[in-house]
Parts: sequence; C-alpha cells; structure tokens
Amino acid sequence: MGQNKHEYPLIYPLIPLLLIIPIMKFVFNMESFDAAFLIVLAPLLIFPTILIIGQIYNKNIVWKENYKEGGILALGALGVSLSVSLWILFDYLSDNHHFSSNTVVEWFQWITFDYLQSDYTIQSETRIIGVGIWIDSISLMILFVATFLCFLICWFSMGYMNTDPINEDRNHRFYAEFVLFSMGMFGMVLADSFLWLFIFWEIMGLCSYLLIGFYYWKVSAAYAAKKAFLTTRVGDVFLMVGLFILYDIYGSLSFEVIFDDPSTGIGGVLVDSNQLFWALLLLFVGAVGKSAQFPLHVWLPDAMEGPTPVSALIHAATMVNAGLYLVARMVPFVDVHHHGLANLEELGLIIAYIGGITAFMAASIAFVQNDIKKVLAYSTMSQLAYIFTGLGVALWFYNTDHHHAATIAFGASMFHLFNHAMAKGMLFMASGSVIHEVHHAFDHIHEDNSDSSHHDFDPQDMRNMGGLASKMPITATAMMFGSMSIIGVPLIGGFWSKEGIIAETWKAAIEEEPLMFIPAILILATAGMTGFYMSRMWLMTFAGEPKNDVVNHVHESTPWIKEPLIILTIITAIGGFLLSLLGVIDFLASETDHLAMHEPGIISQLIYTLEHAFLPSDVNTRLIGWTTILLSFIIGPIMAARVHGGSLKEGEKANILVGWLVKLSGKFGSQDVSSLSNSQISEALQNRLYFDNLYEYIISKTVFPFANLTAWFDRTIVDGIVKQIESKAVISSLQVRKVTTGSARDYILMTAVGMLSLFFLMWGMS
Amino acid sequence: MIDPSWIVGLGVILFGIGLLGTFYHKNAIVVLMCIELMLNSANLNFVAGAMYYSDVNGWVFTAIAIAIAAAEVAIGLAILLSMYSTQETISLEDANILKN
Repeated sequence: MGQNKHEYPLIYPLIPLLLIIPIMKFVFNMESFDAAFLIVLAPLLIFPTILIIGQIYNKNIVWKENYKEGGILALGALGVSLSVSLWILFDYLSDNHHFSSNTVVEWFQWITFDYLQSDYTIQSETRIIGVGIWIDSISLMILFVATFLCFLICWFSMGYMNTDPINEDRNHRFYAEFVLFSMGMFGMVLADSFLWLFIFWEIMGLCSYLLIGFYYWKVSAAYAAKKAFLTTRVGDVFLMVGLFILYDIYGSLSFEVIFDDPSTGIGGVLVDSNQLFWALLLLFVGAVGKSAQFPLHVWLPDAMEGPTPVSALIHAATMVNAGLYLVARMVPFVDVHHHGLANLEELGLIIAYIGGITAFMAASIAFVQNDIKKVLAYSTMSQLAYIFTGLGVALWFYNTDHHHAATIAFGASMFHLFNHAMAKGMLFMASGSVIHEVHHAFDHIHEDNSDSSHHDFDPQDMRNMGGLASKMPITATAMMFGSMSIIGVPLIGGFWSKEGIIAETWKAAIEEEPLMFIPAILILATAGMTGFYMSRMWLMTFAGEPKNDVVNHVHESTPWIKEPLIILTIITAIGGFLLSLLGVIDFLASETDHLAMHEPGIISQLIYTLEHAFLPSDVNTRLIGWTTILLSFIIGPIMAARVHGGSLKEGEKANILVGWLVKLSGKFGSQDVSSLSNSQISEALQNRLYFDNLYEYIISKTVFPFANLTAWFDRTIVDGIVKQIESKAVISSLQVRKVTTGSARDYILMTAVGMLSLFFLMWGMS
Repeated sequence: MIDPSWIVGLGVILFGIGLLGTFYHKNAIVVLMCIELMLNSANLNFVAGAMYYSDVNGWVFTAIAIAIAAAEVAIGLAILLSMYSTQETISLEDANILKN
C-alpha cells in the first residue's frame, strides 16, 4: 500500500513530548518519583479530550487521517507515561540514593476524619486517607510492563483498528476507553494503599467490560462483556470484604502503615493470624476473579470477543496481572523474617493448588481449540496459573522461614510475569496481524460478490490458515519467539522463570511438604502440554500447505503493525537471558536495590547463570529441570509436529529464522488423530469441561428462582401497596368532587355553615 | 345614647338578611348587594364595640373597611361585566364551569 509513507509523519508532533523529562528535571528541579503523578495524569486528561473531540469532529477527514480518530492523542499520553516511568526506572536502577527500597510519596490528604468507636465516643485519633505512590522493585517492573505494552499496543491499534471498516467513526470510543484503562493500570500499580488499588482495579474492570463489548451489536460480544463483568464482580465482592477485615485489623489500608509491622494491628494489639488468614484468602479470591483462575476462569475465553488489541493489552498483558500483583503484595504479611505472622502456610498451599489446577485444566482445554485467540486465551490462564503456583510456593516458604528458597520462587514468579506479559502481548498482536490480513485477503477476493458466504468464513479459525510462514515472515518470526518463550525453550524468555517456578515447587514438595506434590506434578505436566498446544497453534497457522484459498492472497502490508512485533520479538528473544544474567530474580524479590551481576566479569557470570540453570548442584533440581526441558521442548512440540506439521507448498520460501522450523516439523511423519478427536475427552474439552454448563445450571437453580421470588414480591407486595394507595385515592377523590357543584351559592352556604359551626365551637369552648 | 346591644342586634339582622339574600337570589348584582349588606353588618359591630369601650380604633377600622368595600365592589362589578360580555348572562345558575 502506497499510503505507508504518509502514515508515520503523523507522530512527528509528538516528538516535543520527549522534552518533558528534561524540562521537569532541569527547569522545575523535580525528582523522578515526584513526576510519577504524570504517569496517571496524562492518560486521565486525554481520556475526556478524545471523547469530546471525537464526538464533535466525528467523520471529519482531518480527525480521521491526521489524528487517527484519537489514536495519535492516546499515543502521546501513553508516550508521556512511558518516558516518565522509564525515567523512574533508570533513576532507581542507577542506585540513586533518593530511593530507599520502598519509596513513598504522599501528595495530599484525601479524606480526614475522626474515628468513631463502637460506643460512639469520638477518639482523639484522626484517620487519614491519603493519595500517594509506592515504588519498589515489583511495582516498577509491572509499571514498566504496563506503560511499555500500552504504548506499543496503542501503536499497533492504529494499524489494526483504523483500517477495519467496521470500526469506522467509532475509534475515538476505543482510544478513549483504552487510555482510561491505561490510567487504571498505572494507578493500580503506583497506588500506595489497598483502597486506591481497589479503586483503580474497578476502573480497569469497567474498561474491560466496555472494550469487550466494543462490538456491542454482536450478541456474543454483549454476552461476553456481561459475563466478564459479573464474574470478576464475584471476586471483587470478596476482595472488598477482605479489605474491610484488613481495615478492621490495622485501622488503615495504607501500605506504609500495614507493612511497617504486619504483626501488630491498631493500638499495638497482636494480630490474630486466623483473622488475617481470612482477610488474605478473601483478597486472593478477588485476585482469582481478576486473573481468571479456577473456579472464576470462565470469562477470559469469552472476553476474546473484543478487538484483538484489547485482548493483547487487557486480557493477556496487563489487567490479568492485577491479581498477581495483589498476591505479590501479600508477602510482608507472611514473611516471618520481617514481622510477618506465622501459621499462614495454608494460604500458600491454597494458592499453589488453585494455580496448579488452573494450569493443567487450561492447558488441556487449549489442546482442542481451533480459534487462534482462544488458544492464546487458555494459554494466558495456564501461564498466569504458573505464576500463582510460584507465588503460593513463595508465600509458603516465606511463612516457614525458608528465606532463600522463598526469594527464588518469588523472584521467578515475578520474572515469569514479565516474560509472559511481553510474550503474550506480542503473541496476541501477532495473532491480530494474522486475523487482520486473512480478513483483508478474504474481503479482497470476495469484493465482487460481497454478501455471499461472508458469514461462513471465520478469519480467526486456524483450520482456514496454514502455510502462512512465507506470506507473513515478520509475524511468523514474532509468533515463533513468543511461543518459544511461553513453552520455555532453553535460553529464551520464559525458560528462565518457568524453570525456577517448577524447581522451587518440587523442592517444596520433596523436602518439606508432601501436600505440594499435587501442584508440582500438575505444573510439570502442564509444561509438556504447553509445548504441545503452542507448537500446534504455530504449526497449524504457519506450517504445512494452505488449507484455504484465502491464504494465497495474504500480504503483510498494514502500517503500524510490524514495529511493535519486531521490538517485542527482540525483547522476548534475548531479554530473558540478559535480565537473568543481571540477577533480576534477586532484584524482584527485593534482595538488592538494583540489577547487578553476581560474579565479576561477564564470562564468569554467563557460566554461573548457565550452570545454575542447567547443572544445579542439587540432584533433585537438576532432574526436574531436565525433565521439564524434555517434556516442554522435545516431547510436546514433536507430538504437535506429527499431527499438524508439514512443509510449505512447492515454491514457497519462508525466511531463515522460521524456515528451519517449518522444514523440521515435516520430518516427524504424520499421525492420524481422528479417533482421538472424536473421543469423549475431546468432546468434554471442546465444551470447556462443562464449567459454563455447570455454572449455568447452578444459576438456573438458585439465582433464577430467587429472582422470580423477588420479582413476585416486588410486583404484588411493594407495587401492590403503592397501587392500592393510588386506586383508593382516586376513588375517594371522586367522592370529594361531588361536593363541588360549581354553584356559588352552595359554596357560600358551605362557608356560612362552616363559620357558624366554628363560632359555636369556640363559644362552647369558652 | 343608644345601647350598643341594639346596634349589635341590628348587625345580626342585617347579616341574616344578607346571608339569606345570597342564597335565594340568582342575579349576581343582587348577590353582590347582599354581600355588601353583610359587610356593613360587620362594620356595625365595630361601631358598637368602639362605643362600648370608648375606643377610637373601631371608628377607624370602619372607615377603612368601607373604603375597601368600595374597591371590592368595583372589582365585583368588573367581573360581572366581563362575565356578561362572554356569557351574556349574569345569572349565578349558569356560572358553574368549576363544577366537579
């Protein structure tokens, strides 16, 4: 397309925004963390701007061509957020002594009130709910992930959304909700109290609902939006109750107050570990809802009804991490090393179990999905479950005073969050690229007879693809590295973190707690299953011969789509390795204040890291590590290649990065799985293990009768009383009206009689 | 000097005549006159009171009430005129559009 050249100059007006950091630093003399409010403020201001301008100038050609219906404005705001967060990050990493390990900036006091005791005497104590930020290594990491991916995905959206005629004149709504969501995510990460965390958490929930329902005229999209909103709402109610209990215990929800000494509550009372356990468990239920874990996982696959950038951003890379962030914040409560409470091991066990079950279940459902986005959705659930398992193990270790193991499990979990967000954001964008181009190619072929058979073709169905490796080299490469990172292919991205999680879980199981065996076995099996379903997805899409004529007309040509893919491919391919060389796991577990190498010299550090990963001194860990590699890297992909692999069509050539993989996939022979795919297990998996049916059944047996009962009560009792009053009033007014004859004399008579009776009354009384 | 009770008695009689007149006449002008009669019976009560208590206020009130009654009659006649110009009658039997 020739318009390529005219697209990129559109962002030139944004370049002066880069000056914002020098201006703040040298003109206003601000510290980086004082500027952090800009991260939240910039999207917050741009949100109404896009909405209002978009409404006024809707269909205006300049607004459409030069501002991309708000996309450029959104990109500017997210660019400001990204640059400020990078500034903070570099400031933090460069060991600037303005930072302690937790930096708290309190801007102003939002609400101040006197505390009323239950006997209604006003205590002298005044409670303050403030507004501020909290920066430590975890929030910095997630802040970087969020700002970086928001920026890239906004960039990607300008290619994906603005070229699709179905979105014409509605994109300002998309961009407005997009920046509002970004605001929610940044705010949640920076929040310095559980209260603000919850407020921003709810803003994200709202935006998730709005964006899933972006195509609201589609029944399935509207249904999915409602389902996502209501399912997460279930978790949020529990979360809220958990926060009430926390407030009851500590008299404040601010991190500073709570984490200062979690073992003493308000007024120096020792905290009851049983009470705290319930508070944390309820908080975890909220996290389960937000991060789509068993049993509140049903909304995430349906949420793929939204536009693909939304799936990439909200339902893969950022919002679903909110739950993980909340669980990661629980560490100070259970860390017996630093004022944490003992006897909370069950919490870690429960989290690990939920994680293990979800990981296994989601991976098995992903086996049979044919929709490319659904595969990625289940993969997201499964990988988030890994992180939950890791966090559960970390909490368990922290609580049983195994500080070193806890550090590794926690750091590995947080590192997996980073790797997964980067890889999954990219995978979704790549799948968006595939869907977009396949859709375009289909529209291109069927230009003449536009209406016919339009509804039979699903551009997201992998059974319509195949052999795309030569047509879309950049997307194929990106998706290959993304899948490798998710699978955990040695040296790439997720390998470094996933290995750590699995190894620590097994360590907990073998050395300390036999109950940990179940999650340990589940996530080990899931590693192999991940290898299968991710390879299956890649091979079905990119390898083999085209399964549909449409594929022959696919070109990778839409502007704005390639750049984010290339950037994230590089990060996914080498970022994990580099960061683990720099000791990111210790950094994320707050063991050190900055990234640094263990050993002097890059070579010895390289050897140290590789030795740690592949030949750890502990025999059990080594065994587990190699089993994981064998399952995920060898067995899973080869089984997938036997079913779905194959060389490209004669004459087609893929680029060198993916060509070898396509060729290799054809070498393993082919296997007929039709008998397996007709089996009962396969059918159960197709139906998502009947969870949706089960929930629908339960709801139809409990909620519907209750709703009917209340509807009856409302109709007959509440409405009945009102209606009775109304009809009786009408009847009596009819009676009263008879007195008014309209004749003046009657009125005079009534007045006279009335006066006389008053007169006699007063006479009698006196 | 007349005993004030006579004056009060005259007032009662005048009031009764006025009241009955408003009941039994259809002609609006006659009704208006009857209302004036009742008003004046009230004035007589003031006069009687002023005489009985030797208080000048009663006289003053009577003078004001007569002035107000004059203004009121002017308004009443204006209403009757406009009623006649629209309905071509001043019979109170027909003035019943406020019925029910």
